Amino acid sequence: MNDQTVQPLLSVENVSKSFGGVQALRDGTFDLHRGEVLAIVGSNGAGKSTLIKVVAGAHVPDGGRIVINGKEVPRAEHSVSHMQECGIEVVYQDLALVPNMTAPYNLFLGRIPRKFGIFVDERKMREKTREVLAQLNVTTVQDLSQPISSMSGGQQQSIAIGRAIAWGSDIVILDEPTAALGPNETSEVERLVEDVRHRQGTSFILISHNLDQVRRLADRIVVTHHGVTSREFRRDEITSDRLVKAITLGE
Amino acid sequence: MTETTVSRPFMTPKRLEMLRDYVPFIAITLVIMLFWALSGDRFMSTRNWTFIAQQTPVLMLLAFAQLMVVTTGSIDISIGSSLAFSAFLGALGMLWFGDAGLVLGVFAGGLVGMVNGLIISLLKIPSFVTTLAMLIIVRAVVIIVSDGTAIYITDGSVSGGTNISSVEAPWLLSMGKFPAIFILAAIVSLLMWAFYERTVFGQQLRAVGGNEKVLRLVGINVTTFKIKVFAAAGLMVGLAACVNLARAGAATPQAGLMIELDAIAAVALGGTPLTGGYGSVVKTIIGALTLTIVRNGLTIAGVPPSWSQVALGVLLIAAIAISLNRSKVDVVK
Repeated sequence: MNDQTVQPLLSVENVSKSFGGVQALRDGTFDLHRGEVLAIVGSNGAGKSTLIKVVAGAHVPDGGRIVINGKEVPRAEHSVSHMQECGIEVVYQDLALVPNMTAPYNLFLGRIPRKFGIFVDERKMREKTREVLAQLNVTTVQDLSQPISSMSGGQQQSIAIGRAIAWGSDIVILDEPTAALGPNETSEVERLVEDVRHRQGTSFILISHNLDQVRRLADRIVVTHHGVTSREFRRDEITSDRLVKAITLGE
Repeated sequence: MTETTVSRPFMTPKRLEMLRDYVPFIAITLVIMLFWALSGDRFMSTRNWTFIAQQTPVLMLLAFAQLMVVTTGSIDISIGSSLAFSAFLGALGMLWFGDAGLVLGVFAGGLVGMVNGLIISLLKIPSFVTTLAMLIIVRAVVIIVSDGTAIYITDGSVSGGTNISSVEAPWLLSMGKFPAIFILAAIVSLLMWAFYERTVFGQQLRAVGGNEKVLRLVGINVTTFKIKVFAAAGLMVGLAACVNLARAGAATPQAGLMIELDAIAAVALGGTPLTGGYGSVVKTIIGALTLTIVRNGLTIAGVPPSWSQVALGVLLIAAIAISLNRSKVDVVK
């Protein structure tokens, strides 16, 4: 599906990370192309969340290289804010939203537009929110003056994903995006991811325990086993059996 | 729309939900009707309402200070002592620098608030404990600094003895009387409303009360923000202290004893949950007014002060019980 000869958007090469004496990640290697959904799967403790946190900037790797758009990220600048500048946003598992605030406020968290230096520019926030929701094809969120705690889990997750893509990021990391959601809401979120990827060319890195979901969404699947990205599948070569074997046995 | 209703099966009918929003307004109307019925013209007189208009502003400003802090999910119980300290420094400022020295009182309140904020944020001690300690410390500091004596504000008609500290400031005393104090309170209310409901800072107060962790995650410096909140609340307490100085005509070491509880009660009567995240300036004004009216009305009706305290407590519990739908609350601490 993707032309593998073009330069990848994100290239992670032989990244390793230890905590104290424990080597959580021995060799993390994968490429991510524009508009691609890459899933990272593995059993608990296989290193996938460490790998993701390194890419998100939360952990500084001990070794290896991370190259974004052909430019290597210098170890000294490895931080969350630097990765955000490079266009990487994370949608956290536990919905990083403020429940008592409205959808526009959550979308603009940390970026509230101001009038006369101190006042909230409500109009601008509402307009941009409608724009983002339209872009995401989310029609269920109508009343922008309601706190998001009154919305369904799927709607809340849409807002969280909206925040990740609203500010022009190229790569969105989804950490278990539907773990807390019901079946209807799960398909709502999946449709959203498909949509954004096709229309905006946003790339996604998906962490999920739901193998059916992984097979539905991902173009490629990277399996982590004992801290090594041991195996990689393309969408057309995946069967559940092979995937489960790879996750549990490393092959 | 239907979807939200389906996902909240335990929601009480919508009309009841809307009614909850108006509890402070309904409460104050009922209270006024009650006292009108009980005491007739003695309660519903221009003279009495002028008195209420003079009595409410200090409590209202303190409730504003408390509102800012409570919205973030913290609490400030040091404001009674801070009021005495600020009033004393305001009076001292006037002794030293003339009329303009009164601003020292406002800054004194801001200073106490900032110290609260610094201790809470940097030492990570809960606001309740920090401000409880400050309640004790600041009151003691006032007594030490004042040596237990008061500073009086005079209108110049009486020439007091030389051993009494007094400042001649008739303008300040007239500020404490009806039209002036009411106008001042109205202006401060308007500014507070704009500040709380319309500024980025005001929205941030609610966000911190809602989910502090998320704000840290998106790179907002919550630590400095909290220091600013307590400092802003402190400035408001300082302003209240200056108004109180004008009302009382003296800065005494005992000023504002227990008034922190009234301020918290006014905020709660205004329907603001003490867990943070929500709040309203208008309803807080209503809360402060209700508290003043009940106290005033019970006095007029001849109820002994201790019994009127009981009535206030009952009213507080009733108002809070009605104003929030607690069927979904599963943990009460």
